[in-house]
Amino acid sequence: MKRIGPSLIAATLVVALGGIGCKKSEPPPPPPPPTTTTPTTTLPAAFGVSAVTLGNAIGADKKVTAASETFGVNDTIYASVDTAGAGHARLRALWSFVKGEKTAKVDETTIEFESAAPTVSEFHISKPGGWPKGDYKVEIFVGDATTPAMTKAFKVG
Amino acid sequence: MVATGDKNPAAPGNKKPADDEMPDFSDVQSGASSTAPAAQAFETYVVVKGDTLSKIAKRVYGSANSWQKIFEANTDVLKDPNKIFPGQKLKIPAKS
Repeated sequence: MKRIGPSLIAATLVVALGGIGCKKSEPPPPPPPPTTTTPTTTLPAAFGVSAVTLGNAIGADKKVTAASETFGVNDTIYASVDTAGAGHARLRALWSFVKGEKTAKVDETTIEFESAAPTVSEFHISKPGGWPKGDYKVEIFVGDATTPAMTKAFKVG
Repeated sequence: MVATGDKNPAAPGNKKPADDEMPDFSDVQSGASSTAPAAQAFETYVVVKGDTLSKIAKRVYGSANSWQKIFEANTDVLKDPNKIFPGQKLKIPAKS
């Protein structure tokens, strides 16, 4: 049997101990999490009513020439509606006569348009036989909403 | 635009309405316009029994021949101009 020499044993020990002392190589760092970027594009502002003004005449800009909430029996009554926002717009004006707790529908008109900038729309009503004196209101609805975006009360007489 | 639709029925004759009666608004005329280009104004008319597009056109525009104007404005809900039913809501374009 062949004997193993002391030098070979020492060399084997050095290699083995050296291996223990070596640091195991670390795994590569995990990739950084994907960065979430906040969209920088600005969504168009929702279409909405900013003001309703009543009067008995309007100008070319569809705005009433003199705001009023009391009208004569033979007046044409205008509601000038300021809107802002982009997209397809539908405005509905519901005119009502108010007597105590009761209301009677006077008229309902809808207008549709493509809105890209602040817009002024006008609704008007007239009555050849003259308006009954009393209290009235006009409610402005946006789209299919069942609650008015804005309501204005006015008086005739 | 001549007011149409579900407004109060005309009071009989020229009788002054009683205190609890509401006035008659059947002769109200209305309209709308906008600074937005290509704005379309219309009234909503609720079909009642016995209505035809010609009858509605006669009442609104003064001419039964204008029924097509109403039909064209309502092609999303009407496929046949001879088939309208009570309760149906139609867009009535403004007089031009």
